[in-house]
Amino acid sequence: MSELVLQSLYAGLLAGGYYALIALGLTLIFGTMKVINLAHGEMVLLAAYIAYTAESVYGINPVLAIPLAVAAVVLTSVMVYGLVSRIRQDRELNSLILTFGIGIVLTNFVLMVWSADIRSTNVPWFNEPVVIGEAFYSTSAQVLFFLAGLGLTAALWWWLGRSWYGRALRAVASNRNAAMLMGVNPRTTEVISFVIAGLLAGIAGVALYTVAVIHPDLGHNLTIKAFVITVLAGLGSIPGVLVGAMLIGVAEYMTITLASSALQELTGMVMFLLVLFIRPSGLFGSRGRVG
Amino acid sequence: MTFRSRSLACTAAAALALLLSAGPGSATDFAIGSQIAMSGALARVGMATNEGVTVAVEMFNRAHQGRHSVKLTSIDDESNPAKAVSAIERMAPDVQAFSGGYGSNIIGPASETAERAGKVYMTSGGVASELVKRGLTNFFRINNGEGYSRALVGLFGDLDIKSVAILHSTKDATQEVAHQVEDGLVGRGVKVSTHAFDPAISDFKPVLHKVKVLDEPDAIVMIGYENDYVGILRAARVMQPKVKLISGVWSLATGKMANDFPELMQNVVGTSTLPYPVAFTDPEAQEFAKVYKELYKKAPDYLGVFGYVQTKLLLDAMLRADEAGTLKQPGGIAAELRRTATETLIGPVRFDERGDNPEFTHRMGQHQGKQVVLVWPEKAATGPVKFPATPW
Repeated sequence: MSELVLQSLYAGLLAGGYYALIALGLTLIFGTMKVINLAHGEMVLLAAYIAYTAESVYGINPVLAIPLAVAAVVLTSVMVYGLVSRIRQDRELNSLILTFGIGIVLTNFVLMVWSADIRSTNVPWFNEPVVIGEAFYSTSAQVLFFLAGLGLTAALWWWLGRSWYGRALRAVASNRNAAMLMGVNPRTTEVISFVIAGLLAGIAGVALYTVAVIHPDLGHNLTIKAFVITVLAGLGSIPGVLVGAMLIGVAEYMTITLASSALQELTGMVMFLLVLFIRPSGLFGSRGRVG
Repeated sequence: MTFRSRSLACTAAAALALLLSAGPGSATDFAIGSQIAMSGALARVGMATNEGVTVAVEMFNRAHQGRHSVKLTSIDDESNPAKAVSAIERMAPDVQAFSGGYGSNIIGPASETAERAGKVYMTSGGVASELVKRGLTNFFRINNGEGYSRALVGLFGDLDIKSVAILHSTKDATQEVAHQVEDGLVGRGVKVSTHAFDPAISDFKPVLHKVKVLDEPDAIVMIGYENDYVGILRAARVMQPKVKLISGVWSLATGKMANDFPELMQNVVGTSTLPYPVAFTDPEAQEFAKVYKELYKKAPDYLGVFGYVQTKLLLDAMLRADEAGTLKQPGGIAAELRRTATETLIGPVRFDERGDNPEFTHRMGQHQGKQVVLVWPEKAATGPVKFPATPW
């Protein structure tokens, strides 16, 4: 039994890194603009389908297709910002409806362009077993994108805390008018946050394509997963995303091992509700905090 | 003959023609509706089934050109039961029957709505046994869960498999088929362990790890959908449990899976109506494949075959009802369907009093190289089964 538990811990941590990758973009926009981008999962999915096209039509390795996927998703993300920024009243609430609608449009766009068939990479390397000490099993893609998740979380944390634009972003999130008085252009910083979120979603999409199986209906599930992690982490807390994602990953995998795989998704939701009940601001959240 | 008498004669002839055309056996414009998932979670299977429905209509129109025609109205139910009910309500006034639907949870309310409208609802997309226990007089289906479990249990019996781990999705239909397979295997003295999984799960390694360490079965049975199969097989390649065979049910032993995931599918067994590459021998099947290719530029898959068969049987019954003058009478089409007893592309079909097809037993196919070889039952087999054999 200990063999199963150890493997669950390992697999849960790996899954956490990959979940964090999916959630980072949503967290960034939620933290800086208080906008919950309900089309985030669909943007991740769009990147996944671009990686699929690159592989199946042009024979390009999905990892090498990252620039293409990122470019497409960044463009989409900026267009989403263009629409969100036109909201004049109750932006937090109305943006929910707007981005939900954009998500539906993107899902149907994917359906029309790529059909409803399931897709996943056929590059053997991504699904090669990585076995450590005959006890820890994973695939190459899982290890690669776990490391990518860790690296991008650290990079985003550093960028928000150390770079001028990162600080400007936090200033706008904290007090938009005060930031303007200090010479920060809020629109530029908001566009930048959507660009970074698009970049992260693009990489997450390629990870998704190599780690799992994609189909047009998947975007909604990804958004929910990212949203649960974001709330669990606390408003805009970047390290919190990583910790929250790993907690969810480990809890899900332990549930499979110790109880039933049928309860895996339920575990994440129970954790989400518990954290909301005990710490409404999230595990690492404090009012207005970013980064 | 004067102008007046010529006019009278022409009028009489026109009236006679009108009278004749209104009688039984004359040209009739049939109308059927298809409520089916073309978006949402069931879009892939819904669209593939709808292709078969469309081909059946096209073939009917070609065969009865100048005499009868069928108008097909299709509405996307978005994989949503409420939208399916709405689609049936919208189409009911303008159609004589329905052919479509995918997913037992969607077909259930949709067929009840059709029943209230007094219209026949014919499907192949719902295998849950509850569907035929509701006492509906206008509900018909050509396949059922028992047909899938009979095939799996039959093959495992022939291979003398002693222990099985069943991995099944928690959706209604998959859960029910899993229970039927479990009952069938336990009844034959096979040791069975089951692992239900959430439809949203994508990494099956922890489940396979439990199978490998705790269950140690001879064979694994997957009862889910395409994305589940790919996830389970990938996990199995990593965990490499010591099994002799990996098998499953629908959407597994198909040309699509053979083409899209050739490495992963090697030696995997699943229910299959057709070998791949598709080889049709009888003239009707060849015509079906020809029209399918004309319309969709590809070879038919098993969902298309099911969609075709259900619609063809419905249209044949409507034609017979029309000839008998009962097409527009309540229960006219249903009565003709109950008289159906025929050989089809999926095997024999007849309908019992509940609208179910008790004759339905699936065939089993195995991925061998880039082909799907029918391996069970013996009379339908196109090659021998490779056993023991795993994808790795």
